[in-house]
Amino acid sequence: MLKQLLAAINDAGYVSKPALAAELGRPLVLVEEGFAALVRMGYLAEDAGAGCVDLPCGKCPYASMCQKEPVQMWKITDKGRDLLANMQRAG
Amino acid sequence: MSITIALVGNPNSGKTTLFNALTGSNQHVGNWPGVTVERKEGQVRHGNTVCRVVDLPGAYSLGAFSEDEMVAREFILTGNPDVVINVIDATNVERNLYLTTQLLEMGAKVVIALNMVDEAKEREISIDEKALARRLGVPVIPTVASRRNGLEQLMNAALAVASAPRNGHVRLSYGESIDDKLAKLTNLLKAGRWDYPSGWLALKVMEGDEYVRKIVADEQSMQRSKEFLRLWDEIAANEDYYQLEIVDSRYRFVGEVTQDAVRRPAVAVETATDKLDRILTHKYWGIPIFAAIMFVVFQLTFAIGQDFLGEWMASAVEYIGEFLESLLLTVNAPQWLVDFTGNGIIAGVGAVVEFVPLIVILYLLMGLLEDSGYMARAAYVMDNTMRAVGLQGKTFISMIVGFGCNVPGVMATRTLESKKDRMIAILINPFMSCGAKIPIYLVFIAAFFPAYGGAALFAMYALGIIVAFIMGKIFSKTLFKGEVSHFIMELPPYRMPTLGTVLRSMWDNVSGFLTRAGTTIFAVVSLLWVLAVLPGGVEPYGPESILGQIGLAIAPIFKPAGFGTWQASVGLFSGIAAKEAVVATLGMVYAGVEEGMELVMSIREVFTPLTAVSFMVMTLLYTPCAATLGTIRKETGSGKWALFSALYSFGVAWALAVVVFQVGSLLGFA
Ligand SMILES: Nc1nc2c(ncn2[C@@H]2O[C@H](COP(=O)(O)OP(=O)(O)OP(=O)(O)O)[C@@H](O)[C@H]2O)c(=O)[nH]1
Ligand SMILES: [Mg+2]
Repeated sequence: MLKQLLAAINDAGYVSKPALAAELGRPLVLVEEGFAALVRMGYLAEDAGAGCVDLPCGKCPYASMCQKEPVQMWKITDKGRDLLANMQRAG
Repeated sequence: MSITIALVGNPNSGKTTLFNALTGSNQHVGNWPGVTVERKEGQVRHGNTVCRVVDLPGAYSLGAFSEDEMVAREFILTGNPDVVINVIDATNVERNLYLTTQLLEMGAKVVIALNMVDEAKEREISIDEKALARRLGVPVIPTVASRRNGLEQLMNAALAVASAPRNGHVRLSYGESIDDKLAKLTNLLKAGRWDYPSGWLALKVMEGDEYVRKIVADEQSMQRSKEFLRLWDEIAANEDYYQLEIVDSRYRFVGEVTQDAVRRPAVAVETATDKLDRILTHKYWGIPIFAAIMFVVFQLTFAIGQDFLGEWMASAVEYIGEFLESLLLTVNAPQWLVDFTGNGIIAGVGAVVEFVPLIVILYLLMGLLEDSGYMARAAYVMDNTMRAVGLQGKTFISMIVGFGCNVPGVMATRTLESKKDRMIAILINPFMSCGAKIPIYLVFIAAFFPAYGGAALFAMYALGIIVAFIMGKIFSKTLFKGEVSHFIMELPPYRMPTLGTVLRSMWDNVSGFLTRAGTTIFAVVSLLWVLAVLPGGVEPYGPESILGQIGLAIAPIFKPAGFGTWQASVGLFSGIAAKEAVVATLGMVYAGVEEGMELVMSIREVFTPLTAVSFMVMTLLYTPCAATLGTIRKETGSGKWALFSALYSFGVAWALAVVVFQVGSLLGFA
C-alpha cells in the first residue's frame, strides 16, 4: 500500500487524503497512517506550509485575508524519488 | 496460581482506565528501572487465579523510536507476561492494529480488548469483532473500560489464553524473498545466546532496528560465522528496501484484517470535497473558475457595499463633519482648528472612511472563501502557471495574503526555504493589490466608471497578478537562477463557514478599519495638513504651500502618464507613508479649495477616463508603503533590497502608466 500511495501522491499533483483513499480503496485512517509511515521512513517530507498564523496582524482590518490555517505541503524526498524510479523500472 | 498480565496499546486507548477498573485501589506506582517512565502495577483475583497486572506506557509501534516504545517491548519480550491484553481504541481500529501486528510478530500471547465500543457506536462505526478475531487468530472482546463493561469476558479470555501453550495466531508474510531471508537469518541466529526470540531479532535486523542490530553485531559467536556475515552484508546493502517491504506488509495485513470488518459512515464532506475538487481544480477550467469566482466577489461587493450601504456612510461622514464644524464654531474655537477639522480630517480621513462599507464587504467575502477552504484550491490551480514562470506554488499563498496587506504577505514568504524562491516572492508581493489601495480605485471608479465597478476592481487585481508573474519570470531568469523545488499541496476538506464567525470577522474588520483611520491615517493626514497650510501667508492647499511645492517638483515626471498635476503627484508621494493617504490627500487638496465640493466631483473635472486608468495603474504598482519596505528590509536583511524594491516597482508602474496613457491617446481615448 505504501508504494502505491507514494505513486498516487506523485501522480495526483495535489494531496487530498479522501481522494487518495478512494483511489486506493482503503479507509481514510489507513491512508493517514500511510502518510505517517512514509514520513517516518524518509520517503515523504512534511512542510509547515504557508500562512500568516504567527504573523503580528493584530487587529488590522486586512488580516481577514490571511490564510489562518496554513496550507499543508508535502514533498517527495530524494529517497522517495529513487523509489518511484525503481518502481517504474521494475514496471 | 498466579499469572502476569501486561496491558499495551496506543496512547489514549484506555489502558489506565482498564487497569484501574481491573485492579481497583490495589496498585502501586513507580518508575521502570533505568528510565523515568511511570510504572503501574496492581493485583486482581479472578476465580482462583491471582493476576499481577502491569500497565505499560502507550505506544503506536514497538520500534526503538522512543523510551515508551522501548519499555513496552522490553517488558513483553523479557518480563515474561503470561498474556498481553492489547487495548484497542474501537474508533480507530486501523491505526491501533499496527501495534497488534507487531505483538503478533513477537509471538506474544495476545487478547484484544476492543475498547470504547460505546464511542464507536455513537460515531456509527460498525465493527465485526468475530471477523477480526478470526483473521488475527486471537480473542477480541468488546469493552467499555470507563463503565466496566466486558471486563468479566476479557478476564476469562485472558486466563484461557494464558493457560494455553500459545495463541494459534496468524503469521505475517512479507513476500517470498524476505520470508526466505528471514528464515535463514533466524536459523543462523539460533547459534547465539539472546534474551530475545531469534525470529523477532531476525525481523528487527531486516527492518533496520538500530538497537537490535547493535546487540546482534556485538555477539562474538555471530562474528565467527562466515555465512552469517555474508547474509548480514547483503541485508545491510538493501536495508531501505527491506524496511519498506516489512512496514508495507504490516499495513497490508491491517488492511486485510479490517476489510469489510470495520465500516464507517460515508462522510458527506469528504465525498462532496472530492466531487467539488474535480471541478474546481480542473486542469483547464481551474483558473477560469477562479477568475469567475473573484469577479462575482467584486460584483457582489459593489452591489452590497455601494448600492446598499455606500450612500448611508457618505451621509454619516457629511453629518459628522457639519456637526463638528458647528460645534467648534459655537465654542469659539480658533480658526485653524475649524479648518484642520473640516478641511483636514473630515475631507481627508472622511474620504477614506466613506469606503468602509465596500471594503468590509469585500473582505468579508474574501474571508468566506478563505474559511471555506477554497483559497488553497486557488493556490493549487495557480501552481502550474507559477511553475511555468519559475516560481513555486507556495508563492501564491503569500500573494493571496498580500491581497490583504503586503506586510504579512512578505512575511509569509518565510516558509519558502530556497533563497531564490523567497527573494522573488518578496519582490513581487507588493504588486498584489492590498486593501489600503481600494479607496483609491473606488474614488476613480465612482468618478468615471460607476456602472462597471466590479469589473474595474477585478481588472486591477488581475493586472497586479499578471505583472507579478511577469516580473517573477524576469527575476528567475536574471537575478535569481535556480531549481524550482516541487511541493505537493494538501487540499483540506471544504468547510461551511458559520454565521457566528462571519459576523465576528465582519465586526473585527469594521472596528479594525476605524482604528486604523483614527490612528495611522489620522496621523498622516495631520502631517499633510500642516504641510498644506504652511508657510503662513500663502494660499492654503495651493501650489505655494510646502505640499504644493513638493508636488510641483515631482509633477513633470508624471506628465507622460497624463496626470502631471501637483495634486496627483503629492497624492502619490503621500501614499508611500500609507496607501490610504493617497485618497486622503486628494480629498484635502481638492475639497479644501472649494468649500462643499465633493472629491469625486473634483476628480471628474481634473482627470479624464484615460488618465484615471493610468493613475489607477500607477497606484496599483508603484513603490510599496513604508511599512512594507521596512518589512522587506527586515526579511531580506538588507536595506539595499528594500531600496531596490522601492525603485524598480516605481519604474514598472511608471512605464505601464505611460504606456496606458500614450497608447490610449493614440487609439483616440481621452
Ligand atoms: N467513551 C469511553 N471512554 C473511555 C473508555 N475507556 C477510557 N475512556 C476514556 O479515554 C481517555 C483515555 O483513557 P486512559 O485510560 O488515560 O488512556 P491510556 O491508554 O492510559 O492513555 P496513555 O496513558 O496516554 O497511553 C480517558 O478520558 C478515559 O476516560 C471507554 O470505554 N469509553
Ligand atoms: Mg495511561
